[in-house]
Amino acid sequence: MDTPLTETPARREKSLMARFWQWEASGILVALVVLTVALSIAADNFLSSYNMTVVARQAAFVGLVALGQTLVLLVGGIDLSVGAAAGLSAIVGSIALTQWGIHPYLIIPFTMGFGFLLGSINGVFVAGLRLNPFIVTLATWEIFAGMTLVITKGYPIRPLGEKFTVFGQGELFGVPLPVLIFILLAAVLVWMLRQTRLGRNIFAVGGNRDAAVLAGIRVGRVEFVAYGMAGMLAALAGILFASRMDAGQPSVGEGWLMGAITAAILGGTSLRGGQGSIVGTVLGALLLAVLANGTVLMNVSGFWQRVIVGCVVLVAVLVDLLRRKD
Amino acid sequence: MTDQPLFEARNITKTFGPVRALNDVSLTLFPGEVHSIIGENGAGKSTLMNIVCGRLRPTEGQLFVNGAEVQFHSPLEAQTHGIAIAPQEINLVPHLSVAENILLGAQRGRAAAIDWKATVRDATHYLHEVDNSIDPRARVTSLSKAQQQLVQIARAAATQARIIIFDEPTAMLTYRETEMLMDYIRRITAEGRSAFYISHRLDEVRDLSHRITALRDGVHVGCIGPEEATREKMVTMMAGRPAKVGGHSLRDMSDRPTVLEVRNLSRDHEFEDVSFDLREGEILGVSGLIGSGRTELAKCLFGATRARSGAVRLDGKDVAFHAPIDAIQAGLIYLPEERKQEGIFPLLSIAENTALPTIDRFGGLLTIRNREMMEEVGKLAAQLKAKFNSLRDPITSLSGGNQQKFIIARWLMRDARVLIMDEPTRGIDVNAKLEIQTVLRRLTEERGLSIILISSEMEELLDVADRILVMHEGELKGIVDRRDATQEGLLELAMS
Repeated sequence: MDTPLTETPARREKSLMARFWQWEASGILVALVVLTVALSIAADNFLSSYNMTVVARQAAFVGLVALGQTLVLLVGGIDLSVGAAAGLSAIVGSIALTQWGIHPYLIIPFTMGFGFLLGSINGVFVAGLRLNPFIVTLATWEIFAGMTLVITKGYPIRPLGEKFTVFGQGELFGVPLPVLIFILLAAVLVWMLRQTRLGRNIFAVGGNRDAAVLAGIRVGRVEFVAYGMAGMLAALAGILFASRMDAGQPSVGEGWLMGAITAAILGGTSLRGGQGSIVGTVLGALLLAVLANGTVLMNVSGFWQRVIVGCVVLVAVLVDLLRRKD
Repeated sequence: MTDQPLFEARNITKTFGPVRALNDVSLTLFPGEVHSIIGENGAGKSTLMNIVCGRLRPTEGQLFVNGAEVQFHSPLEAQTHGIAIAPQEINLVPHLSVAENILLGAQRGRAAAIDWKATVRDATHYLHEVDNSIDPRARVTSLSKAQQQLVQIARAAATQARIIIFDEPTAMLTYRETEMLMDYIRRITAEGRSAFYISHRLDEVRDLSHRITALRDGVHVGCIGPEEATREKMVTMMAGRPAKVGGHSLRDMSDRPTVLEVRNLSRDHEFEDVSFDLREGEILGVSGLIGSGRTELAKCLFGATRARSGAVRLDGKDVAFHAPIDAIQAGLIYLPEERKQEGIFPLLSIAENTALPTIDRFGGLLTIRNREMMEEVGKLAAQLKAKFNSLRDPITSLSGGNQQKFIIARWLMRDARVLIMDEPTRGIDVNAKLEIQTVLRRLTEERGLSIILISSEMEELLDVADRILVMHEGELKGIVDRRDATQEGLLELAMS
């Protein structure tokens, strides 16, 4: 949880239930449990370890992007360019591997650095020049997506080689590596938001920018870092996906933007900034993956999936409204 | 006190575009001193203090700390010179705890490993110096406005500042909290720290201060010691005229028919059980501080929010407004407090701003019949003595007082019965203020308009209202006839 100071003996008097409902991500946790139980009854292969792996891997890619989006939303911004940044980074990473001869083990850090650079562009315009993040990232979305096509002319870059595909395809103790990386990074971010000054400043800037300025927080720097990290995490998702597919596809990252925002919002992150949690976003990404998986298992047409996701978001917003009225 | 001032502002001038908010103002602050700044709204107190604390930069003039010249480019730089402000408006991060707000950006421990125990401990120390009834672990959103104000004071103190600026700290405080704050300020000044103190409560100012400086229209009008600071003297300095002159005549309204009846109106967390009558041609003043529920009451009457219970009758008929449009059609109009945010359309012309809600009347076959619209707006402008170049100019080219007149004109184009005005004269200069007050009185006499006038300036209410309704923390404390009302009486009633 993100407000450690409120979780203290003084508040323990309140029932466990009441405290649970106060937590932004409580709704999504309940929804996830209900959906999981329902699906495991309705479809006997839902709980199979193979299917669980599929769900987790699907959650991991969008989830990584959503983690970065959460940071940007927390500072009161929005980043529409994350999907395109993931795509462009995946392509540049693939080219670095196949044409520039960078060692396969260094490709991921290299690509993350490149992604941070892409995010910094948003950061300069939004944090530095105080332009509207929606417009800035709408523009960079187009630019990044366009650059991807300019570079690739629409053709995938392949093959990437076994030494590299291990990151996307490999497993440790039966868990896919992308899933492990996702969990690890989520844990790091939980710690960062709770225990570091940068993390607390992110909440302060998003919660009340003026108060943060008056408190002597370098607001622009905090915003800049948030956009940079969003680009970095998107790039990581993109290059892992390329590694998994053994190809730098120009289409990497398409559809991840909506997934990332949806996961964060389902997890209780506020579009007005200052409120939200990483745990909520992880649960949000899982819920989206379970929904997608469930529609497949239940033989529902894939076309219905988006309709269902949209309805879930509306329900989530309504639940949140009711909770805040209490 | 020593001869060397801890802080000095010399010949400060600040202009915003064509407006001179401060004109050649100088003042000093000595160690251990409480220096109060008094003045009417818009006199330049807040501008001056914003310059002292680094939020604004002076257009001309110099600042000195301990005799050395300084320039502040940000509040942070002022803080490093030991100056902190507890601002009037609440400026906290709502979803964080009280403790974290107090040490915002200065959490204890290393940057990569915050020591929460030490942070809460230190924050609690600063908080309990000011008020020991607030839970440092509570979320800011669970606190009352008064408590939030106190948290801001603790935050200013937590910066280790030698100079703390208190900007209207007691505006929302109860009597007990005010006493505690006075003690606190006396304690820190006894330790050698200093304070600039801004307040409208003149008794408080006299009891607390070593020196009192009055500003009027951005000009320094005098600096006196507490021994010569009688209420009359201070009011005269602030207003530039002796107290109580300029008040409009007393009227007896008791035989007029009732236009608006409000019975037991309640809305959760905003106001409880409010009942009053408004008579035809009457000006009913509403006195109360921010957070008293006065604006919330007005918005509810206007149909912008819904009451939980209670009844409203207009001309004897029960009404239930579901949206502002219902109220407008019934002739009940609300002029919001935030003129800029809620009242004007900055991109449109004066004429359009005035005629917008009644634009249908000027609808031609294909276009607006502009000439007729202009004529009508012009007539009203003359009635209200508004000053302008052309009605086609953007409304933003006008001064605040003239903007306000056109907003009033907007509703005169419809046959409004009841006008609810929320702080109509805030932030406009003294002359325009008097003009608007005169306009309001004339409208009640010539058109039989009934006005609910919400104001935090008691002087204003005592000048123009026929009766004054006092609210405090969502409760209606009483309704006083103007002939029996005094500032002290109203304050006492609010705090009772």
